Amino acid sequence: MLIRPVAEDFRIIAYYLGRIFVIVAAAGLLPTAWALLGREWHPLGSFLVMVGLFAILGLLGLLAKPEEGRLDWSHGMVVVALTWLLVPAVGSVPLALSGHYGSVVDALFEAMSGITTSGLSLTQDLDHLAPSVNFWRHLLHFLGGQGIVIAALSLFAGGGGITLYYGEARDERILPSVTSTARFIWTVASVHLVAGLAVLGLIGHQVLGFQWTRAFFHGLMVFFAAFDTGGFSPQSTSLGYYHSAIYELATAVLMLAGALSFGLHFAMWRGPRRAVFANLETRTILGTFGFTLALAIVGLAATGVYRTVPGLTRQAFFQVLSAHSGTGFSTVPSVELATWSGLAFGGIAIAMALGGMASSTAGGVKSLRIGLTLKAITNQIKHVLLPERAVVSNTYYQSGRKKLTPELAQSAMAVSLLYVALFLLGTGVAIAYGAPLQSALFESVSAAANVGLSVGVTDPTMPMALKLVYMLEMWAGRLEFVAVFALFGFVIAWVRGK
Amino acid sequence: MMLLRAGALAIVMILAQPVAATAQDESVVSVSELLADGRAFAGATVTLEGELVGDYGFRRDATMWTQLNDDPYARNPLVDSGRRAGANVGVGVRMPASLAEGLDPPGGYRRKGPLVQLTGTWRFHDPDRGGESYLEVRSLIVVEPGRHIDESVNWAVLPTGLVAVGLAAALWLLRRRAER
Repeated sequence: MLIRPVAEDFRIIAYYLGRIFVIVAAAGLLPTAWALLGREWHPLGSFLVMVGLFAILGLLGLLAKPEEGRLDWSHGMVVVALTWLLVPAVGSVPLALSGHYGSVVDALFEAMSGITTSGLSLTQDLDHLAPSVNFWRHLLHFLGGQGIVIAALSLFAGGGGITLYYGEARDERILPSVTSTARFIWTVASVHLVAGLAVLGLIGHQVLGFQWTRAFFHGLMVFFAAFDTGGFSPQSTSLGYYHSAIYELATAVLMLAGALSFGLHFAMWRGPRRAVFANLETRTILGTFGFTLALAIVGLAATGVYRTVPGLTRQAFFQVLSAHSGTGFSTVPSVELATWSGLAFGGIAIAMALGGMASSTAGGVKSLRIGLTLKAITNQIKHVLLPERAVVSNTYYQSGRKKLTPELAQSAMAVSLLYVALFLLGTGVAIAYGAPLQSALFESVSAAANVGLSVGVTDPTMPMALKLVYMLEMWAGRLEFVAVFALFGFVIAWVRGK
Repeated sequence: MMLLRAGALAIVMILAQPVAATAQDESVVSVSELLADGRAFAGATVTLEGELVGDYGFRRDATMWTQLNDDPYARNPLVDSGRRAGANVGVGVRMPASLAEGLDPPGGYRRKGPLVQLTGTWRFHDPDRGGESYLEVRSLIVVEPGRHIDESVNWAVLPTGLVAVGLAAALWLLRRRAER
């Protein structure tokens, strides 16, 4: 029997949402200050509207402080699912008011794409966009990639953290408490921010010849999008704008760092580094990256579009790393990417679908699930082939020796299948609107796996239904379904419960 | 001496011949056409017309890299009351630094970059540059100089924002007072 939520449940949810909104309001002061310093009066007004709305909603939520009820598992999941709907909704206000979006839905699409670190964009005339608005787009990547709820957890100690933490698709607690884990995640991000900004800024000025301020502007934007595996870029031609192998290399390092789990960062910082390569997830991602890169190289070589091995390797490597890490940067135009067929298309599409590591800023099915699924299948085959009395090891190494239980294998396979269903949903809708199968599949995988590479289907003129479906894919894909199902369950219980 | 002059003239004529022949093949193309079938234009001399946007990257090899957009915003940016017409359409261009001297600043926020006509060789997947594609510019004509754009500010938004922040501040003060 479904139990209808009571007023106390709503108070708990509103209170925790309020805490998160207050944090986002504070984050919104950054682009506000940028607009003020840059005398960008129109964007300034729109940022004030957004900050005001976040703060009002946050403070109203805090007024609903629950009497004694604690945040349980379902509350936490509902809070996370709503956070990832409402933050882009309010966060889209400055975008909608900028005049660079065809409609409110387009602005919402952009904000959803930003916060889920997808990187698909509906911005029109990006090359004349106000820097403060451009900064906000990229800051959304940073907030979403690190986890908005993680931000709230790192600032507010208190109960309920664990359910919010898991709700935001974080699978492992690195340190004993969730608050210290959240703070560690932000420390990792801060260190990378300082180092990444310094390197990109220096290359921008010394190698690319940009003015200092512009070099660091580009560096900051590219850092946010690379480390948080987002994919927005400050200019319309993505990473192809820079025409520099060394800039691509620096960006690739950041993309790779973003695709690694924070647990692995912890192991590399403090733990025995040898253990890093013993992890099932590390081995899986190295294997799948090598496989998809080989597919792309062979596919491109067969078409003969690149005349030299270094050129072919550089372009294939960057595109596949961008796809596998879930970033979505591109050094070739989308019209050209659309012509990559056969194995090259397969390599990129598979890389996008597989994604990065669990508990990283990347999207996609995730390497841990792929590794567990492959191990479970291998074990089944061994059971069939080996003599009945033979003992098949059902353990795996992931920050320590662990047992691969049937429940764990089923869970990994179930989520993987849900991703496949999500890919097919977007593909089907795009085909219904006349997109070719290959393009429809590519774009849907890109949205659901939060990648952002595009072959041109994502466009301000695309049908409204397709925009909504892609937004749903980005949202559900980022939260890895659990929180989304919890929200649906909560709504159903509210409507039909007793 | 006469023989030397005749020889030099002959060399100049021989060197000039391919340039003249290429000039006859020149055609004005749009960036969309160029990107849609980049291979078809590989190595050809093409002319593009559009706005220079982003940055002027003067590199140590005495070249300058920038981006040329030939979308509708090249003439009417959104910030200058232009109409929405989809995403930008642009391509990377490289030119001798000397050619870029004296150019108005590139286009960006509240800035319309110079509208130029660039003629050069379309380097498609250039093997010498790791497979990059770009226009190697040989000549540049400024069609329209760049200029500052006065943004049309919607003055209703700023007061609305101030009111929203004011309301939030009042709410925060009320909450603090209630907590005491």
